[in-house]
Amino acid sequence: MRKALLALGVALAVTGASAQSNVLKLPLINDPIMNPLVAPDLGSILVNKVIFPGLVRPNEDLQPEPDLAASWRVTNNGLTYTFNLRQNVKWHDGQPFTADDVVFTFKTIINPQSGSRLVSDFNSIKDVVAVNRNTVRFTLSKPFAPFLILLGHNAGIVPKHLLEGKDLNNYNAFNRQMPIGTGPYKVSRVVPGASITLVPNPDYYGAKPKLDGITFRVVPDINTQVAQLRSGELDWVNVEPFNLAALQNDPNVRIKQADAVQHFLVFFNLKNPLFKDAKVRQAMQYAVNRKAIIEGVLRGYADYPVGTIPTALRAYFNKSIKPVQFDPNRALQILAQAGWKRNAQGTLVNAKGEPFKFSLMVDRGNPTREQAALAVQQDLKRIGMDVTLQTLEFGTLVRDFLLTGKYDANLIWWTTAPDPDQYSYYATGQSNNQAFYSNSQADELLRRGRETTSLAARKIIYTNLQRLELTDPPVLVLWYPKELQAIRRNLTGVPDLGIRDALRHSEKFDLR
Amino acid sequence: MPVPYILRRLWHALIVLAVVCVVTFIVVRLAPGGPSLLADPNLGTVERAAIAERLGLNDSVPEQFAKFAAGVVRGDLGTSFLYGTPTLQVIGQRLPNTLLLAGTALLVTVLVAVPLGLMCGLRPNSLLDRLLSTVSLVFVAVPVFWFALMLIILFAVVLRVLPAGGMNAPGMEGNLLDSLRHLILPTLVLASATIAEVLRYTRSSARTAAMQDYVRTAKAKGVGPLRLQYKHILKNALLPVLTAIGLQLPRLVGGAAVTETIFAWPGMGRLSVEAALGRDYPLILAITLVVALAVVLFNLLVDLLYPVVDPRVRTEA
Repeated sequence: MRKALLALGVALAVTGASAQSNVLKLPLINDPIMNPLVAPDLGSILVNKVIFPGLVRPNEDLQPEPDLAASWRVTNNGLTYTFNLRQNVKWHDGQPFTADDVVFTFKTIINPQSGSRLVSDFNSIKDVVAVNRNTVRFTLSKPFAPFLILLGHNAGIVPKHLLEGKDLNNYNAFNRQMPIGTGPYKVSRVVPGASITLVPNPDYYGAKPKLDGITFRVVPDINTQVAQLRSGELDWVNVEPFNLAALQNDPNVRIKQADAVQHFLVFFNLKNPLFKDAKVRQAMQYAVNRKAIIEGVLRGYADYPVGTIPTALRAYFNKSIKPVQFDPNRALQILAQAGWKRNAQGTLVNAKGEPFKFSLMVDRGNPTREQAALAVQQDLKRIGMDVTLQTLEFGTLVRDFLLTGKYDANLIWWTTAPDPDQYSYYATGQSNNQAFYSNSQADELLRRGRETTSLAARKIIYTNLQRLELTDPPVLVLWYPKELQAIRRNLTGVPDLGIRDALRHSEKFDLR
Repeated sequence: MPVPYILRRLWHALIVLAVVCVVTFIVVRLAPGGPSLLADPNLGTVERAAIAERLGLNDSVPEQFAKFAAGVVRGDLGTSFLYGTPTLQVIGQRLPNTLLLAGTALLVTVLVAVPLGLMCGLRPNSLLDRLLSTVSLVFVAVPVFWFALMLIILFAVVLRVLPAGGMNAPGMEGNLLDSLRHLILPTLVLASATIAEVLRYTRSSARTAAMQDYVRTAKAKGVGPLRLQYKHILKNALLPVLTAIGLQLPRLVGGAAVTETIFAWPGMGRLSVEAALGRDYPLILAITLVVALAVVLFNLLVDLLYPVVDPRVRTEA
């Protein structure tokens, strides 16, 4: 009996040691939808970045570089984009890739009936045609500067010969089991709920992939992801500052910071008379100690904000603009100008004696955001505002409160494409402008920003926007986060980018 | 067992399932939030409208219920919002994994808890009894996620002898030894709570049986201790234990959510968490119905096993 148990123990240990070493293992929190046109969540987007290249991809400066397109020309005052495609590119099933695939992909994207989630990104496209087998021409309805960047963001090209006439959202043989792309790795095996295994694509048009494969493992719990990273079952886990303690002393893991094109903020419902006056929002910038939040809650892994353009957009973020620093007395002065003064009890009241009272919502379950919301509440309380903190599950917060406009203020974040265009977020009446912000000057800057193609001219426009946002802030920007990548030390070749953009370069990754 | 009795039980089961159907539908719709496919604040209005239309959310709630009920009658429990596949197909992929984990945990539970419970019940207040009582109390009280994480840190991170999660190492699917390695920790966690409960049940049941008059009579008649324990006490003590185990079964199938999430085990428990967080209405309803069906069937099974164990029940039925 004892011998049998010993033999079993040895066998179990040996089985554990026989895992492949040059296969990159990345976590997902659920099964992905492997179709970039309908991918609903971050995990799906990440897998799709490897399988489905776009026409272009972002380089380390977040500027577009050739991918499936070898070169391009912009003519007709920014209205026409002509792409010369790479020749001899093959789909993972061996079929040739042609201009028809690109036309099919974008005609599907801009058709709202198709169920694509990328309609809004590309609604500037008036027409897209295949000039010949290797040339595609896009005609835009008006100049749209982020166009190229968006082509390299989530818009992977999909095969016409497999998807034409199919219901994109329900075509599970493709979306869930055997997606066919043109990327450096192709899917070889899917175990529902457990893993997606990718092997190198021998026909890949770019540099030869260095890894023996990539495995995406479904690990829903972040603590387990961290444990699996430490035990070598995962090679790369994006973590939050509160996870760092568990990784600090691990010699096999290094923490890398990448700029994230995100800004964390407090949305104010500008339909609420409390926040209508720009002075009130301006005052809050002085009242909240954002430096303390960055140092205390985010352990320093974030940049101090000036407006809504994050520092990650280096080409546009103007460093010379002085940010608003914590100064509660200044906040009180500005609030006094707006008609809010502290009474004998220290409560901020208006001329009628009504208190400045509102509730601040935050999604439940993420310690970083919950602690930040608490800090904001405490800072605002200190200047006499009566702020109630309300935590809600994220889906409920968005669907029942944010989208319906039934909120006073909430702490949330925007992740945008690597371009400063924020028209849909902050221009009057736009679909993502749930703060109901409206400023004609900002509208004009945001419109010109997306319609101007010259980088130099855009820089000036967005600098003006940054300046404008200091006096009439659409939201209270709290920080620009850093993406914290916990990576096993033997993983090399990862470009200095956030994971979304880095995975566009997966053929360069290696495990040595 | 008479056939009308079984038929009557099946008819009751159908009523229970119908009630579960209606109540779950109402409760799910009353819950705040909505399908996670719509909860992305980055989505534009056009995309959001198209998704709502595709998911059938633009119909009125009574219309949605009518469609759902008609589907159930036909054996079609709808299409999952998240997976875009028939819900029964999604469940079909996950159920075997849960049955494997739950089955192993149950086997371990029975093998460990019943003999230990009997030993404690027969020797009350012995050192073993006191020790196991304390240990089982601890396991009932310890939060599952904490215990699971401690095991992962010890065996996967520090000692590196067992994997931290998953059913198989990628590429090792179908390898029995690899599956066994992955099964050990989640089974330990899942079984720890049930062992504690079943052990306590068995102990008190054996204790009660040991104090019955017939045991004293048997003892007086000179029946040996072994025969007394196994022939007279064990047989009578097992009936309540069977009920206790029966009660654990549905919990193992439907309620292993935390264990499955922490160990990245692709089973029903994790699926139900996914469905609930994603407000995948059809999937939530289908899982609830399948679990309800399991509860009803397990209860029926336990009822059918009773007469096998206890002849008195046979005559009553």
